[in-house]
Amino acid sequence: MEQLVPVFIILPLVSAFIIPVTGRFSQNFTRGLSSIVFLILTVLCVASIGLWDRGMIIYTVGGWKPVGDIPIGIDLIFDGFSAFILGIINFIALLSSFYSIGYIKKYTSENNFYTLLCLMIAGMNGVVLSGDLFNIYVFLEIASIASYALVAFGVEKEELEASFKYQVLGGLGSLIILIGVGLVYWITGTLNIADSSNLLITKFDNKFYIVTQILFIAGFGLKAAIVPFHTWLPDAHSSAPSPISSLLSGVLIKAVGIYVLIRLFFHMFDLTYEVSLLFTLLGVLSMIVGGILAIGQSDYKRLLAYSSISQVGYIITGVGLGMLIIATGGDGSIAALAIFGGLFHLLNHAIFKSLMFMTAGVVEHSTNLRDLRMLGGLSRKMPLTTNASFAGSMSISGLPPFSGFFSKLIIIIAAFQAQYYVVGAIAALMSIITLAYFLKFHKDTFLSKARSEVRQFLPVPVTMKVPLVILGILCVVLGVFLVPQMKEIFMDPAINVIIDTDQYSEIILNVNR
Amino acid sequence: MDVVIWLPIVAGLILLVIPNLRAIKGIIGLLITAIVFYQLIMIYLAGSASIQISYLGRILDLDIDPMTLFRVDALSGLIGVFVGFFTLMVIIYTLRGRKDHLPQNYHPYLLMTLGASAGAIFADNLILFLIFWGFLAITLYLLIPSHDDESAAAANKSLIIIGGSDVIILVGIVLVWKIAGTLSMNELSIGTGSGIGILAFLTLLIGSFAKAGAFPFHSWIPDFAKSAPPASSAYLPASLDKLLGIYLMVRLCNEVFILNQWLTLAILIIGTSTIIIAVMMALVQHDYKKLLGYHAVSQVGYMVTGIGLGTVLGMVGGLFHMVNHALYKSGLFLVAGSIEHRTGESKIEKLGGLSRNMPVTFITALVFALAISGIPPFNGFASKWIIYQAIVDFGRGTGISNELWLIWLALAVIGSALTLASFVKFISGIFLGREKKELKDIRESGPLMWVPLAIIALLCVGFGIFATQYVVPFLFSPVLGEFQLVGLWSSSFISMLIIVSIVLGLLIYGLGTVRSFRKDDSFIGGENLQDSTGFEVTGFYNTIHDSKPLSGIYDKADKKWFDLYNIGKGGVLQFTSILKRVHSGLLQTYIIWFILGLVIMLIFLLLI
Repeated sequence: MEQLVPVFIILPLVSAFIIPVTGRFSQNFTRGLSSIVFLILTVLCVASIGLWDRGMIIYTVGGWKPVGDIPIGIDLIFDGFSAFILGIINFIALLSSFYSIGYIKKYTSENNFYTLLCLMIAGMNGVVLSGDLFNIYVFLEIASIASYALVAFGVEKEELEASFKYQVLGGLGSLIILIGVGLVYWITGTLNIADSSNLLITKFDNKFYIVTQILFIAGFGLKAAIVPFHTWLPDAHSSAPSPISSLLSGVLIKAVGIYVLIRLFFHMFDLTYEVSLLFTLLGVLSMIVGGILAIGQSDYKRLLAYSSISQVGYIITGVGLGMLIIATGGDGSIAALAIFGGLFHLLNHAIFKSLMFMTAGVVEHSTNLRDLRMLGGLSRKMPLTTNASFAGSMSISGLPPFSGFFSKLIIIIAAFQAQYYVVGAIAALMSIITLAYFLKFHKDTFLSKARSEVRQFLPVPVTMKVPLVILGILCVVLGVFLVPQMKEIFMDPAINVIIDTDQYSEIILNVNR
Repeated sequence: MDVVIWLPIVAGLILLVIPNLRAIKGIIGLLITAIVFYQLIMIYLAGSASIQISYLGRILDLDIDPMTLFRVDALSGLIGVFVGFFTLMVIIYTLRGRKDHLPQNYHPYLLMTLGASAGAIFADNLILFLIFWGFLAITLYLLIPSHDDESAAAANKSLIIIGGSDVIILVGIVLVWKIAGTLSMNELSIGTGSGIGILAFLTLLIGSFAKAGAFPFHSWIPDFAKSAPPASSAYLPASLDKLLGIYLMVRLCNEVFILNQWLTLAILIIGTSTIIIAVMMALVQHDYKKLLGYHAVSQVGYMVTGIGLGTVLGMVGGLFHMVNHALYKSGLFLVAGSIEHRTGESKIEKLGGLSRNMPVTFITALVFALAISGIPPFNGFASKWIIYQAIVDFGRGTGISNELWLIWLALAVIGSALTLASFVKFISGIFLGREKKELKDIRESGPLMWVPLAIIALLCVGFGIFATQYVVPFLFSPVLGEFQLVGLWSSSFISMLIIVSIVLGLLIYGLGTVRSFRKDDSFIGGENLQDSTGFEVTGFYNTIHDSKPLSGIYDKADKKWFDLYNIGKGGVLQFTSILKRVHSGLLQTYIIWFILGLVIMLIFLLLI
């Protein structure tokens, strides 16, 4: 297994560069290649399920030995948490690339599309696996730059504008992250997360420590689209081609934003009450602002994009509550519950938001419309899409028995058990607002009378339908992760890794000595 | 016993997936409903039972002893039987339904609703209860076809109010867990002395009110009734949601919580104001389905009032009224369905004189209308009378709300009178009066449609005549224990008196001089009566609409000033427009956002 860890980065990276070459000879091979790659990686992740709870697998690139006490080699860390995120990334990537086969034909330069897609996934996998700060930054930039290009893929006026904004703001975020990385290196002389985690406390004075934390929160917060750093997201996510939107909203903001934030703040920095409070507050703020803005949108994909901000708020709130409980020395099982809620919602959000963007793609492909005021009455013409979209909507809105209900339930239970009543109440209230805007969206698109603006009605290729069915079914059945046997297998390894804040650096440093 | 839950849900899902063959789906649905109904009766007769399962506690990683998932007691068994009964009636009624009048996949959704209702009724664990309860909200939404703007909006409103109330229930459940440490309804007994206890009670009560449609969460019912096909209306807001909403309320008031006197006062105020407000709105409606919808709200007021009294007699009255209301209101909606099916009209003024064309429908409608208006010997009178008795009895106690018993009684009686007034409009506007020319060819609806009506009407009469001797003691003493009806009243004796007087009247009519009376057209000031001339029954009711203090209120109600849904929507949209203004789309602004956020976070952390 150890030798297979770098495959997650190498395989998509290599295929990214094979595609433009082979694309000249066989278009079909190119189309299938990325799907096959992600299928292999997903299977790899699933196959490793049994290994998740056996601690972590560390792969040292090139086998570099530490010099003095400082590990200078590049570590790839595969533990329960990164495996969980990797599974989500590659599974959604598989579905999106499969979906793209039918969708992307209408654009020119298909090869570039698949190349960029593979690059983006390689970057994300790299961020998740990487064990040192600088490589996180490098992979982050690979993923981000690929995503800038993908947002602009349609090369229309709007798409270019969105991509430009995204680049400027994303670049700003990356810069802030780089400064943070520089600060850490300046003080500790090491970039390895595990190593610097030990050195930071002893060598940093308090002010520097806080400034570094803030820089990371702002930088990665921008990538995760936490309010007030969310402003790029609605433009970027709504302008990208739909399979890319589903990847951006479904996994990119989680892999390069939320994942890194959790990793750094649980495993590198010491959890402090103030930072935990800041996290929770930012989460609640995102939840509110994203939800309230989404209700006023009339563009199909912009509404979904704003809803992503709101749902990311839920995830951050769940994790933030877990941090708060740990930082104040509260009940460990409630902290685990809060983090379980956050991670479960992360998984659910990946599923239903990808689904929603893919249905958006189907509607756009078929009618060439995105404005909710012009759509309507599609339920008779596309029943499958309607049902898939309805399952997604209900899951996001948190109505039982759909999976989103359970993750919100757990976040709210954790908030109340830890006596953060206001947080719990806001989470519940925003869930009503979520329901309101998704129903409005469902009504305007699929129900009501068919409007005259809906003129053309192209057939939808099968490759676009299959992912909808798979994701729609997942929206219903993922609730089973609440069953203890399932939770033990899929969720507990990730939760245990996060909760055990000291173990991470201990294991890695032991290996490196 | 769990077969009543999973069988209809699984069957519904299978029917949903297989291709659209409406007739077969209806027959399969009928068979499954019959099986489930039989099972529900068996469960009711067998008394209590429970299913325990131990792993729910481990799910949430908290140490909880084995939990009871499902439990049957007298109350849930009773409600279960009625759920099964109404499903059966509705499914028979819709077997021959025209395609365009029913939403696609009507029967699968109906089956799923049946299963989920059974689940919600028998669930003992609150979270499990909420899962079924929330699922019901979704099936409710799917039962409106939503192929035009108005019905789509009504479907949305219904699901937002009900789904929103589910979230509020969720908060209540979490609070209950926090207070009591258990989620089993059977073990709960929470005092409402502390703030958190009151909060838990109120949040759960909101859920029950939204489902049952009590003021101020009622506003989805009239819209739903107007837009949904009557077969859906008969099934959901008219009967099933009442059954479930009131079931939850009884559970809350009777078992889970111990109420203090201020909460009782609040419930009574809500109950009586629901009666009056909704019936006043019903008076001025022109659309008969919407009129029925407002009555569905108004009648909930009686149930809420009865149960809110907290006395055994009050509970009996409330539950009995719930059962009766379910009977006559689903009957009325089915009548509305038959009328709409035959005429395609939904406005009262377009109809008239249908009594000769649709005699069975007319007679059943008359029975239902008299029952809902509280005319003896029908069942509506019996339950209202028990509620009045309970209020008088309640007045003997001490406490702030006991002192005010006369007010509750007066409002309840006035509400009943106004109900009669608006049903005069319903009956005479649709069935009596001169026959309209364009309605000449209307025929009676088919037997599959009128047989369920006749069955329900017979039950209305039977429940009324035998109320005090058989029905009430038989149905409700297992649920609430022994109780004594106060006051001198025996339903069968009174019914006998009424029958005797009717027979006497007929004798006098037959024998007396009345036989030789003159038959002529109406006198309209000496003019010749044209076919086009006629008095709109609804016209008389416009007087109420236009009278001085009321007209202002009605105007505001028409503009939806009192609709919680609209108020909430307006509030949220206000925030949205503010936030939208800040999101200008300018890159400079966004960079300022970023930097400001960074600075504020720094200040926050450095200063704390």
